[in-house]
Amino acid sequence: MSWRSIVGHKLRSTLTTLGVIIGVAAVIAFVTLGASLQADIVNTIAGNNQDVMYVSASSQTQGDIPQLGQGGQAVFTQYDTAQIRQIQGVQAAVPVGGIATAQVQYRNDSVGRQWVTVSRPQYFQLKGQRIVEGRSYRPGQREVVLNRPAARMFAENVTVGENITLVKAANGQPINATVVGIAEASQDGAGALTNGAQPSIYAPTDPFYERTVISPNTDEQQRVYSQILVSAVSIQEIEPTQGRIISYLTDRSDARVLKAEGYQFEVTTYDQLVDQIRQVSSTFTAYITGIAVISLVVGAIGIANIMLVSVTERTREIGIMKAVGAKRRDIMQLFLLEAILLGLFGSVFGALVGISGGYAATVLIDLPLRIRPLWFVVAVVVGPLVGVFAGLYPAWSASTVDPIDALRHE
Amino acid sequence: MDAHTDGEGSTEDAVVSLSGVYKVYELGEPVPVLDDVSLDVPRGSYTSIMGPSGSGKSTLLNLIGCLDTPTAGEIYIDGTNVTKLSDAERAMVRGEKIGFVFQTFNLMPRLTALENVAMPLSFRNVPREERTKRAKSLLADVGLADRVDHKPTELSGGQRQRVAVARALVNDPAIILADEPTGSLDSETSRQIMRLLEALYQRGNTILMVTHERDIAEHGERIVHVLDGEIERIEQLGESRRTPSVDEDAASAGEDAPEGEAWTS
Repeated sequence: MSWRSIVGHKLRSTLTTLGVIIGVAAVIAFVTLGASLQADIVNTIAGNNQDVMYVSASSQTQGDIPQLGQGGQAVFTQYDTAQIRQIQGVQAAVPVGGIATAQVQYRNDSVGRQWVTVSRPQYFQLKGQRIVEGRSYRPGQREVVLNRPAARMFAENVTVGENITLVKAANGQPINATVVGIAEASQDGAGALTNGAQPSIYAPTDPFYERTVISPNTDEQQRVYSQILVSAVSIQEIEPTQGRIISYLTDRSDARVLKAEGYQFEVTTYDQLVDQIRQVSSTFTAYITGIAVISLVVGAIGIANIMLVSVTERTREIGIMKAVGAKRRDIMQLFLLEAILLGLFGSVFGALVGISGGYAATVLIDLPLRIRPLWFVVAVVVGPLVGVFAGLYPAWSASTVDPIDALRHE
Repeated sequence: MDAHTDGEGSTEDAVVSLSGVYKVYELGEPVPVLDDVSLDVPRGSYTSIMGPSGSGKSTLLNLIGCLDTPTAGEIYIDGTNVTKLSDAERAMVRGEKIGFVFQTFNLMPRLTALENVAMPLSFRNVPREERTKRAKSLLADVGLADRVDHKPTELSGGQRQRVAVARALVNDPAIILADEPTGSLDSETSRQIMRLLEALYQRGNTILMVTHERDIAEHGERIVHVLDGEIERIEQLGESRRTPSVDEDAASAGEDAPEGEAWTS
């Protein structure tokens, strides 16, 4: 009979459920979009190299988001890199440093202040950054690799085999180098959150990198780097390896002596970074979902409102039902069921609209689609609950209708 | 059938028994509507209640129909004292012992004839199959076998009232309460309904009918005259009661033919 009443007032029922539909659709769409956005960010940053960690020494006062790729004090000597390579669970370790350039020139055009990342040829492989054209640089050669944005930053696009000139910021000395490869525009760490694809130039440590220090352990003049990029033998090995690296650094390393007071060692894994990104984007999603929940409440009020009208309108029918033996509980059940059905339709339909909206949005901004099935379950449970919440008072007021008055009601 | 009672509580064969019933409405100041009413309705009897508007006959019917409770006095329905029952218990008595027929039919507008007749059973948790079966057979009894899936708006006044009668019978009630059952019908359809009630009476049902039309009231074995909240007198009609003629039955043929057959089965 509840069903009859809903079908009997198609337009009214549709408008009534619209509130719930919009509410649920908004929640589902935003959650889907949030999850997809998060997946995209995590993908961009971590990609398929989640067994990689960065060893650095940085000041404690730096922000919560760990800095990958750049920054930190140059304290890790060649000796430290070699020692870390020996640590159990470490598969490979390459030092990473940087050179500040005052200018980079290509043909008649020049671009100011670029950061050149120096490392070993395995750097790209370790980071999971693909070289889309040409090859990696060879140590000891005046060769560089540009990422795509860097190849496009000059007036004319740089192609493999051409020369560019780097002017060092430290001494103004120009160095000619051959571009041997173009890498994809992978982003380093947190930079991906704030900037688009930044131009990057990669070069071998030898002959470009000249910062040296006397290694306290070996008493030899050695190159010194701000970071060591370490890959573990497997993802499961990351945590124990992380601990072993930290204990090596604090107990026996060169870096322990070289680092400044107040700086501390950090071994940052992508896991931690990804966790933090998740936290940030979850907060964001929760905020938007909160707004969507408000529209769900508005939807509930809509149902309550229409149910109250319906009770008044059907006073006579309630009287008839009571006269032929309906108990208060029967009447209450009838109206509650109607409200629950309205809520259920609203939520099921809303969930479908929401997932379509989420899908459309992810296609539009080119994100990987991530559906959270749990939210559908939640929506389907919440819909009838909204109905109960909205229908309780109208149903109660229907059940207390006096049959004598109701039968007289026209 | 002896309609005489002395008004002392419920007797074995009284379906409805009122003793010293008062009803006072509180409308700012107390307004007495029923004043010390005692009445017994024997099982299997056909009783009419007559009286002008405001005489209290509707209130009397509401009390017997368990829609209202008396201010004082006691009412027994089929041996059950309904005076002190809770709301839910009175609803149960209505569902099990009483069949209502109203002046304005009071059918559910969105339900079909079949669903209307079956509705009282749904409040008693009778399985759907049985509900449908019983409702179908009752609709056939009142000559509406071919109208089961019609909604009230698709039926004539007489057909609607016959659906209402079928609904009143669905719970196999101890008493049928008819409140001006012909009040909204023309004379021809009124006769049809009166024939229907007569047939029910002949089959042993107890009928209590409220009306203000003398010729309708004369269908009962006796007429209870109510005036100013009191029973003025009880008129025994006996042999002089009006019965719908067999000739009339035959005259209106077609539509009524299946009815006649149904009663004999």
